[in-house]
Amino acid sequence: MSSPNTVTPENRRMLRQALRSTGYVAYGAAIGVLALCTLLPVLITTLLSAARVGRPLVRPMLHWVRRLAGLERGRLRRLGQEVQAPYYHPDPEPGDSLRETVADPEVRRDLSWLFLHATWGLILGIVVLQMLSSAVHDITYPLWWYAAGTNDQDILMETVEARTWSTAVLGPVVGLAVLALWLIGAPKLLDLQTRPGRSLLGADPDVDLSERVARLTATRAAALDAHAVELRRIERALHDGAQNRIVGVAVLVGAARREVERDPARADEILARAQDTVEDALAELRAVVRSILPPVLENRGLEGALSALASDCAVPCTVTVDVSVRCPASVEATAYFVVAESLTNVAKHSRASRAEVEVRLRGSRLHVRVADDGCGGADAAGGSGLAGIGRRVEAHDGDVTVHSPAGGPTEIRVELPCGS
Amino acid sequence: MRIVIAEDDTLLREGLGLVLRGEGFDVVASTGGPEEFLAAVAEHRPDVAVVDVRMPPTHTDEGIKAAVEARRAHPELAVLVLSAYVEQSFATDLLAEGARRVGYLLKERVGRVDAFVEALRRVAEGGTAIDPEVVAQLFAQRRAGDPLERLTPREKEVLSVMAEGLGNAAIAQRLFITENAVHKHIRNIFFKLDLAPDDHTDRRVAAVLRYLESA
Repeated sequence: MSSPNTVTPENRRMLRQALRSTGYVAYGAAIGVLALCTLLPVLITTLLSAARVGRPLVRPMLHWVRRLAGLERGRLRRLGQEVQAPYYHPDPEPGDSLRETVADPEVRRDLSWLFLHATWGLILGIVVLQMLSSAVHDITYPLWWYAAGTNDQDILMETVEARTWSTAVLGPVVGLAVLALWLIGAPKLLDLQTRPGRSLLGADPDVDLSERVARLTATRAAALDAHAVELRRIERALHDGAQNRIVGVAVLVGAARREVERDPARADEILARAQDTVEDALAELRAVVRSILPPVLENRGLEGALSALASDCAVPCTVTVDVSVRCPASVEATAYFVVAESLTNVAKHSRASRAEVEVRLRGSRLHVRVADDGCGGADAAGGSGLAGIGRRVEAHDGDVTVHSPAGGPTEIRVELPCGS
Repeated sequence: MRIVIAEDDTLLREGLGLVLRGEGFDVVASTGGPEEFLAAVAEHRPDVAVVDVRMPPTHTDEGIKAAVEARRAHPELAVLVLSAYVEQSFATDLLAEGARRVGYLLKERVGRVDAFVEALRRVAEGGTAIDPEVVAQLFAQRRAGDPLERLTPREKEVLSVMAEGLGNAAIAQRLFITENAVHKHIRNIFFKLDLAPDDHTDRRVAAVLRYLESA
C-alpha cells in the first residue's frame, strides 16, 4: 500500500493522477448539480407537453440539455476521450408531439445521460470529494480532537466516535487508509463517472452508420456536381476562348491566302493579325490549363504557389504556410483554388488595404485562412466565388466558415481532410 | 450578293467581313446579337444571312432561333449557320422548315475560302450546304431497321455528299466516279427511299431530309 510519507516517483505520479481525477470529478459533479436542477424542469415540461400546453417550452429545454451535454463533452475532450456531438440538425428540432420528440434517438440519449449524470454521476462526485476531505480530516484528527469541542469528535465521515486519546490516534490510521483508497480509487471512479457520457453523448453506433452513409452520399453527389460544374466551366472556357481564337486564325489565314497574289502587302497585314490571334489562343489555353491543375503547384509546392498568388494580388498580402509534408494533389489544388478565389474577392470587392493567408497542417486536416481588413459583407448567395469555394470544399468533405459582417473585416476559414 | 453577318465574337465578325468582301460580296451589315441581326435583316433585305449559333445572352442556340425566325419573316432569305462544333439538334431545328436555302457549316470552313464561297452561293441559289462533319455524325448514329440501311455503302456515300448540297458533277468529282455512275446511284437511292419521280430537285431535297430526319 502506498503512503505519501514514502515519496517515490511512482507515488508522486499516483498522487498527481488522483488530484487530477478529483478535479475532473469535481467538475463532473458541478455538471451533475446542474443536471439535477434540470431534471425537475424537464419533468414539468414533459407533463405540460403531455397535457398539450408545454410545447413552447420544449425547444429551449432541449437546447439547455444540449448545452449541458456540451459541457460534459468538453470535460471528456479534456480527458482525452473526445466524443463528437451526434446532432443531425444544429438546432434541436422538437417533434410535433411529445411522443415524436421522445422517439428521436438524439433526444432520448441526451435525456438518459441527463438522468444518469444527475444521479450516478453526482453521487460518484460526492463520494470522491468526501474521500479526500475525510482523509485530510482524519489524518489531522489529533489536532482537531485536541482543539475541538466535545460535540464533533468523530472520524471516518462521522461514523466513529473518537472521544478519547487512544481513539483519537486511530484517526490518522483511518485517514491514511482512506487516503490510500482515494489515491487508488479516484481515477477509477472518474472513469465510472464519465461512462454514461462516453456511451450516450457520442453518435449512436447504429445511427452513426446510416448517417455517415447519408453524409457520404451527399458529399459524393456534391463531388460529382462540383466535377460537372468544373467540366462545364472548362468546356466553356475552351469553346469561347481558345477555340474561337483558332477558328479566327483559320479564317484569317484563308483570307490571307486569297490576298497573296492580289495584294501581298494586305496579305502580310492579315497574317500578322493571324499571328497575334494564335498568341492570344495560346495565352487562353494556358489560363485554362492553369485553372485545372496549376503547374506552379506542381513545381513549387503549396507554399510557392500561394506566394505567387499573393504577389499577383492587387492588395498587399502576407502568406504563412506551415505544412511539413506534401498533401494529396487534389487537396493542394483545392486549397490553392480557395486562396485564389478568396484573393480575387478581396481584390474585387473588399476595398481592403491588406490581406493575410495562413495555411497550416494540424493532424490530418489542412487549415486554410484568408482574412482581410476590408468592408465585409461577403455572401455566398451574392454570386461571388464563395459558392464555388463551398462546393469545391464540400466535395472534399471539408468545412467552410465565412465571417464577414457588414463593415468588415472578412475572414474565410476552410478545413480540408488531408487523407490519413 | 448582299449579306448580313451575325457573329458576337469581334475577331470572327471582322474575319468573315474580310473574307466576304475580299471575294466581292456586299456585306451590308455586321451584327453581334440576335435582335440587332433581325433588325438588320428587316432593314437591308439581304440575299444571305451568315449566322453564328452561339450568341448572347445565354450563348447556347440563340443564333439558330434567330435564323429560324428570320426565315419565317423573310421566306426568300437564304441562311448559312456557322457553328463552333457539331450539334445535330441545331441542324434538325434549322431544317425542320425545309432544306432549301439553308446551310450549316463548322466555322473553320470559312478559312477554305473557295469551298466556303461555293457553299454560300449554293445556299443563296436555293440549295443546301451541310457540313461533312454533321453528315458523318448522322451516319454514325444510324440504327438498324432504318430505310437507309437498305442502301449500299457507295449509295450512302453519294447520299451523304448530296446532303452536303453538292450537285451531280461535284459529287462525281469528290468520289472519283463518273457522272453516269452518280446518276445511277441517285436513282437507286430514290427507289430505295420510296421517292416517286415527279420533281427532280425536290426528290433530292426529300432524300436529304429523310436522311437528316431519321437521325
